[in-house]
Amino acid sequence: MKKILNVNYDDLRATALKNRLKILNMVHDGASGHLGGALSACDIITYLGECIIDYDSDERDRFILSKGHAVTALYAELHELGIVKDEELHTFRKLNSRLSGHTNREKLPETDVTTGLLGQGLSYGVGMAFAKKLKKSRDTVYVMIGDGETHEGQIWEALMEAGHFKLDNLVLIIDRNGLCSHQPVENVISIEPLADRLESFGWFVKDINGHSMEEIDSAITSLQSQYGKPKCIIAHTVKGKGISFMENDGQWHRNIPTDEQYEIAKAELEAQIGGTNV
Amino acid sequence: MFSQYEYSIPKEAIGNTLIELAETNNKICVFSSDVSKSVNVYEFSQAHPDRFFEMGIAEQSTVSAAGGMAIEGFIPVYVALSIFSNGMTFPQTRQVCNNNLNVKIIGTHAGVDDGADGPGHHSTEDMAISRVIPRMTVLCPSDENEVAAAIRAMIDMEGPCYMRVAREVQPIIHDKDIKFEIGKAEILYDEGDDFAIIFEGSALEQALEGWEASKNTGKKGKLINIRSIKPLDEECVRKVADMVDTIITVENHSIKGGLYSVICETLAGEKHKAVVKPVGFHDQFMESGPSAGIKEKYGLNAKAIVDYIN
Repeated sequence: MKKILNVNYDDLRATALKNRLKILNMVHDGASGHLGGALSACDIITYLGECIIDYDSDERDRFILSKGHAVTALYAELHELGIVKDEELHTFRKLNSRLSGHTNREKLPETDVTTGLLGQGLSYGVGMAFAKKLKKSRDTVYVMIGDGETHEGQIWEALMEAGHFKLDNLVLIIDRNGLCSHQPVENVISIEPLADRLESFGWFVKDINGHSMEEIDSAITSLQSQYGKPKCIIAHTVKGKGISFMENDGQWHRNIPTDEQYEIAKAELEAQIGGTNV
Repeated sequence: MFSQYEYSIPKEAIGNTLIELAETNNKICVFSSDVSKSVNVYEFSQAHPDRFFEMGIAEQSTVSAAGGMAIEGFIPVYVALSIFSNGMTFPQTRQVCNNNLNVKIIGTHAGVDDGADGPGHHSTEDMAISRVIPRMTVLCPSDENEVAAAIRAMIDMEGPCYMRVAREVQPIIHDKDIKFEIGKAEILYDEGDDFAIIFEGSALEQALEGWEASKNTGKKGKLINIRSIKPLDEECVRKVADMVDTIITVENHSIKGGLYSVICETLAGEKHKAVVKPVGFHDQFMESGPSAGIKEKYGLNAKAIVDYIN
């Protein structure tokens, strides 16, 4: 992991806001993509990119974005880190671009695993956690899934395996934004009591506000000294976070803003960015 | 049964070959989904316990976890009955190939070799659904010694690979030091240009029986072990198609999507002398029974081969 002496929460919040604007621009420019789940995941992904994952190292912590449709949040942060270039931001989902519609490790190795078929990413995390232990590495494997993604049976296979093997180098982050592709997760197929279920599978579980940099930082750093169990952060988030008319509205799972909606959304984000100390 | 050959179960070569390779290659890991004894990798779990992962009855997660290990530089080998390692894992295997990972999948009990468990356990589509995935290599070795050689070749190559292996006893027609080159067919006999029998490994015995029976037809032909479905030895197939009147494909698999299909796809649209005729299973689910009996009843037999030669 990165060696960060003093985490500055205001800076992190400002970076996350800039990333939200990039997410909006990518989806608007590409006229395709998924805004809601990228905006809900944005703060955590920003934090991981800024404070945890050291993309300069060959042997490093991993971040698997199993909910690959939120990939604009990762591209935005990789742009912040200089890995995605300015001119590439306009190429999302277009031909000849490195920024494909879901993560693609061949085009952009920093995205770690080619994902997009929901349910598979946590199992990749289990395999990587095995590998890190075999190498006697102290690296951590982070996996983010959506809350609706827990409907996939393979997730529960991997949850069982991680618990059985006591993979304490594996951290699962559930983006608990409460919405599936257009309606509440609880209305589709109930997943509660989620924390109890995970604990019963042998996981250490922590609930946080997934938009609070302080809580994200505290959860991830405190989990580093927990041993003997895999760890899960249930991050309570808001789908569409940061753009008022998108928040908690299922249609923004994959709606593309009209030019008019785009201008309103952009103005909102710029106003928030203006209010920070960037 | 042929009196001139010894017989053995090809899948029994898997464990010892992997144990031996893992002694000098510390990247090799084996994944199991609760069938390690049935597929002969239990011995590996004893020889190299730190590199053996028993994942439980969870085939989908096993394939994806193998993918994670491959990204970290290991060579994971997932071994299970082919209806499990292949039949239950299409989306996961496809995504492993999309990630371009060095994951090796072995499917035992190819075709109807798990006969008594019935059609749910028959694996008569595995060559079809694996070969259509971009980047996937598909191997079909025949006897025990060839399976061992094919496993060595599979570990030496880079990239995803699926190998089907017979559970039914097979005559041992190869020496222990046999060389196996991926994408190269093996011409076992070449005695004339009337016909060619081309078979995939788990149909070895039926192909040999057909070859023996062909001696009473007055026709002379060739017997070819295809060894590798993808890449296919297209040069060999085209050459043979220009020489013989009839190519008979013999496979312990559906004739849709397997060996018959790849030969037809290779020759279609080109002018060749041969017509291609399929021996295998005809788009149907079979029934419980001994594997040899199912093959006999449902048309994978010497008679079907000879009928095309006459």
